[in-house]
Amino acid sequence: MRIDHPKSFAALLGMAMAACASTASASDTSGTMRVGDMQYGNVLDPRGWTPMRSPADPDGMSYLHAGMLRTPSGALYPYPPKVDDVKPLGQGSDWTYEGLVEFGYIHVGGDKNAEFFRQYAGWKTGAALGLLALEFDNRKTGQYVEFRASHLSSDDQYYRLRAGKYGSYRVEAFYRDIPHVISTTAYPLWNGVGSTNLTLPASLTPGDSTVAAVQQASRDARRRDLGPQRTRSGLSLEGALYRDWIGYASITNEKRDGTRLWGGPMFFNFAFPSTGSPFGGNGGVLETVRPIDFSTTDVNLGLRKVGKVWRFNAVYTGSFFRDHKDRLDYQNPFLISPVIGVPAAGLVTNGEYSLEPDNDYHNLRLELSRELKWRGQLSLAAAYGTMRQNDRLLPPVNCTGNLGFAAGPLQQIIPCANWNTSASLSQQDANARIDTQLLDAKLSFHPTTSFGWHTEVRYYKEDNKTRYLAFNPLTGQYGYISENGSQGTVVPGEVGIFDRGYYSTSNVQIANVPFGYDDTLFELGGDWNIGQKNTLSAVYTFDHDQPKHRERDRLDEQRLKLSWVSKSLGDVTLRASFEYGDRDGGRYNYDPYAAFYSQSLPGYVPANGVAPTAFTVDAMRKYDMSDRKETKGRLILIYPLGTASTVSGTFYGSRDQYGTQIGRQNTSTTGFTGTWDWQPAATTTASIYIGAESTRLKMANVADQETLIGTPADVDPSFGGALYPLAKYWQDLDSERNYNAGVTFSQDFGKVRLDLGWNYSQSLSKLNYTFNSPGALTYPNVPQGDQAFPNNHYRTSTFDASLSFPLARNVGLRLFGRYESGSFLDWHYLGFDDTLIYDHRIYTDEGPQTHYSVSVVGAMLNVKL
Amino acid sequence: MLVAWPGGAWAQEAASPSSTALTQSDISRMLPPTDMGANRPNPHAGMQAHPPIGDADTSTATPFDAATIPVNPLMPDADPIGAKTCIACHAQENIQASHTLHVASFRAGAANSGPQAACETCHGPGSEHAKNPTTPGSIIAFTHDAKTGPEVQAGVCLGCHAGGARQHWTGSVHEMRQLSCTDCHNPMARLSPEGVLAKPSINEVCATCHQDIRAKFNRRSHMPLPEGQMACTDCHNPHGTLTKPLLKTDTVNETCYTCHAEKRGPFLYEHAPVRESCLNCHDPHGSNQQTLLVAPLPMLCQQCHTMTRHPNDLQVPSNLGNGLHPDERLMGRACLTCHTNIHGSNNPSGSRFHK
Repeated sequence: MRIDHPKSFAALLGMAMAACASTASASDTSGTMRVGDMQYGNVLDPRGWTPMRSPADPDGMSYLHAGMLRTPSGALYPYPPKVDDVKPLGQGSDWTYEGLVEFGYIHVGGDKNAEFFRQYAGWKTGAALGLLALEFDNRKTGQYVEFRASHLSSDDQYYRLRAGKYGSYRVEAFYRDIPHVISTTAYPLWNGVGSTNLTLPASLTPGDSTVAAVQQASRDARRRDLGPQRTRSGLSLEGALYRDWIGYASITNEKRDGTRLWGGPMFFNFAFPSTGSPFGGNGGVLETVRPIDFSTTDVNLGLRKVGKVWRFNAVYTGSFFRDHKDRLDYQNPFLISPVIGVPAAGLVTNGEYSLEPDNDYHNLRLELSRELKWRGQLSLAAAYGTMRQNDRLLPPVNCTGNLGFAAGPLQQIIPCANWNTSASLSQQDANARIDTQLLDAKLSFHPTTSFGWHTEVRYYKEDNKTRYLAFNPLTGQYGYISENGSQGTVVPGEVGIFDRGYYSTSNVQIANVPFGYDDTLFELGGDWNIGQKNTLSAVYTFDHDQPKHRERDRLDEQRLKLSWVSKSLGDVTLRASFEYGDRDGGRYNYDPYAAFYSQSLPGYVPANGVAPTAFTVDAMRKYDMSDRKETKGRLILIYPLGTASTVSGTFYGSRDQYGTQIGRQNTSTTGFTGTWDWQPAATTTASIYIGAESTRLKMANVADQETLIGTPADVDPSFGGALYPLAKYWQDLDSERNYNAGVTFSQDFGKVRLDLGWNYSQSLSKLNYTFNSPGALTYPNVPQGDQAFPNNHYRTSTFDASLSFPLARNVGLRLFGRYESGSFLDWHYLGFDDTLIYDHRIYTDEGPQTHYSVSVVGAMLNVKL
Repeated sequence: MLVAWPGGAWAQEAASPSSTALTQSDISRMLPPTDMGANRPNPHAGMQAHPPIGDADTSTATPFDAATIPVNPLMPDADPIGAKTCIACHAQENIQASHTLHVASFRAGAANSGPQAACETCHGPGSEHAKNPTTPGSIIAFTHDAKTGPEVQAGVCLGCHAGGARQHWTGSVHEMRQLSCTDCHNPMARLSPEGVLAKPSINEVCATCHQDIRAKFNRRSHMPLPEGQMACTDCHNPHGTLTKPLLKTDTVNETCYTCHAEKRGPFLYEHAPVRESCLNCHDPHGSNQQTLLVAPLPMLCQQCHTMTRHPNDLQVPSNLGNGLHPDERLMGRACLTCHTNIHGSNNPSGSRFHK
């Protein structure tokens, strides 16, 4: 947040106003009202100005007392940088300037491709600009110009220019590149990675390759880095328009380019594994790579009036997202074959994804508040938003010829020509739209210095206006082609289509579900100051949610939060809170979606003359819709220890009980953190940090008796019934322990300053499971040992050291080094270092490195300008 | 040339540049005659502020000319004395503060209009403090031992900084926790590149109390705060908003969409919990799972999905890539390998997010 003081802004916003002194009592810019771009830094200097902080001023903030003062809560303010003489820009000029440039050379050694080392860091061996900071001030007029820049590499850099006049206006322009590495061990076997069309190498035949050939192609694939690169640029203007009316306008453009892991379903492989054929099993599962080619333009316009009594905000936000690659076509190498042993009508050679559509977003928010007597305030807010997209819809499939199969009465031929053009759609464009409304009213009073109360009502509505009917006017059929035609090629009766003929027993989704909700929240709270040093508060909240087309049409949650702030325990500042919430709601309907399935259409014929297969088990309670009792507690302590150090700590915990047999059952978190900060003098600082946290999440589910599918017994949703028997009940317990520690030390010896830092982070997680019988497993005959997955872990240790010393009056040199090491295990990737091909499954990402160590050394020349 | 308030150089010479505390008599000796006079009528009797000095139509004065001098409830009869008097003792404060944006802007505003838009604009009238500098509460103070209550402190700051990003300060969680503006800000020294913060960066300020949240950013998947690319205030407005978690937008999802605009859609086929709240599946502060997920796949999905056949089988280690029966429902990205468009699909065949 920049504390600027906007005033005349006429030229910038086209409002020609007199340049008379404004009476606006509003200061600050609107930066903290907008999302994003509040921080400019990088892994070399996360603060974005560290070189400007030293040397610290040995006199601190005052000659009147030793050391530094503390915040009201008790934390020490750091020693400020020593103020240098500012330099006039020219003889007799009112403009002064100061600046600093730090540049040098960085060398990266070791496992420099380690994913966790590079995740958001553009480290590269070569020259780097650590920081360029220039500031120009006119001390008479209050005008200023600032420039900050850093260039770690072409993937990781920022440049920002600000100019303005205190109390008048501010202009800002910026450009920044932010790296994001998702994988450095990706081996995609397709050609065309990064494009919308993934094609197989010449060694593979689409839809008809042997598993051995695919394995060889995977081995031949070259390693790639995957991830998007964000490039952002923006311009913002702000200033007073007339008297105490202040306006701002900003426009930001973001380009995201790159790739990320994606999918490619050709129906199950686990259910139909290879039985010895060189062509493998029946279905196929492909981990592909999608392109990222996004641009987003955000526009913000604001107008506010700040008076002594009335305050008004009007904010318009527009966001315009464009996806320049709106689809992904990919070739499938595997032979997708029917399970009934007959030949397929054609090879399933292609799959396709619709990638994210372009979208437009508009939101207008109006806020009005009025000061009242008794230190009261009435605050009203209303917002209307709409998000829309109307992209051209892709056809249901991109295949040619026929898919499916024909065998006696099973005439399951899928003529692609009936489904691979837009003529097969009930509408050509998505015409999707969600509107939102927000109303908020808050009233607060503090009639005495010891008592205050407030009440608030908040209403939010999300209205999904999207309507889509999956109907093919060419064939008169409802539904869709599942998984690129592969499901209908593998399994009888599962194409995804409903009609009044062959597919009359298919219960498939035939329309979109326009989810939405109306949420009304009421709050009443009071706070009491007991003496000068204790404050108690209590807040009651009632949240009434009305979801649309969900398992419940009503969710009610009551919460009570009690807080205690105390400065009565010596010098300690204590902030404690306890919160209890109880959520329940209307009747839980485990299947609210029947109206969107073909069972609701005339002509639907229940298979075997009975109702459709139970949608799910009736005991399932989705955790966003279930009853919940929640307890939270938090204690924050800040303790000034002597005159030069501070001890602070946080103790916290939460317990959630969902009270369900199937679904998320409970969660818990318990943790603490502790910090000791020490700054005995401007030349010396040190800190120690430790933290630990334990979390648990328990859930349960029940496998179904699959042999009953298609029989009259499959209609039974009851937990413990024939379809969902108790014998197939199982539970998972995910437990995590997280440990953090850090030490920093800095000593300025006069001729040289030493900075040391060490950060350590370790996470251990364990997934245990229990089951009532082996029937809960896909392969019941496999012995289940200690009923636990291998322990996952993520461990990093980073040691930083730097020596800074002057070379001349305004020139210094900083030598620095970093040693980072880590280890990692995630059982999702076990085995992937041996092969990425498992029967009819192709994986692309080997997963993060299990061990890595990287060193960074550098020399930076520091010149004060 | 040091940038400081006029008189600062004199005061710097007068004051001993040491860290030794001064006595009352030291201070009295050093005080120059006030430039506004303690005998002036109390400005708070009938008016809230001194009018700006100088002709507003002809001067280059800024809005700071209109800055009020707040009443110190603990010294209601105190009178303004002017910055020159203040810096007679507070020379080092003058040097440091003059280097900050906050006071630099005052300085520019006061250049043609007089000294009142200065120290006393925040600290209240200083006459009683000048007479008895060590008397607690003699001036509006903003530090740990201050007698001034947080509501008075906030009132002073809001005198200029009301509205806008602070429109919803009243009743916000930080106000109710008795936080003072100076718990997070220090306008008296340049401790941060911008925002006159109390620590060198936004994230360090927030971590003063929210250490556990900062620790989460050390986990395997996180947003780039430790790498200096983001700040807590990219998503949160600590001064109060219309949402409980102090988000800047109407809802959680709208905040997320700001950087992840492709997830906004709307899509032809929506995934209910996704549209409801990103937090159903993601922890934005950090996770030990991939992509900020709150639980390992496929367990995350199996908390809601137990439809017949493939979603509800218990997955066990033998289904891993190095197991006896590798299973795509567990390996790699598990469910997402097939249900890839899990945030919503715009494909006519995408009702199950396969397309």
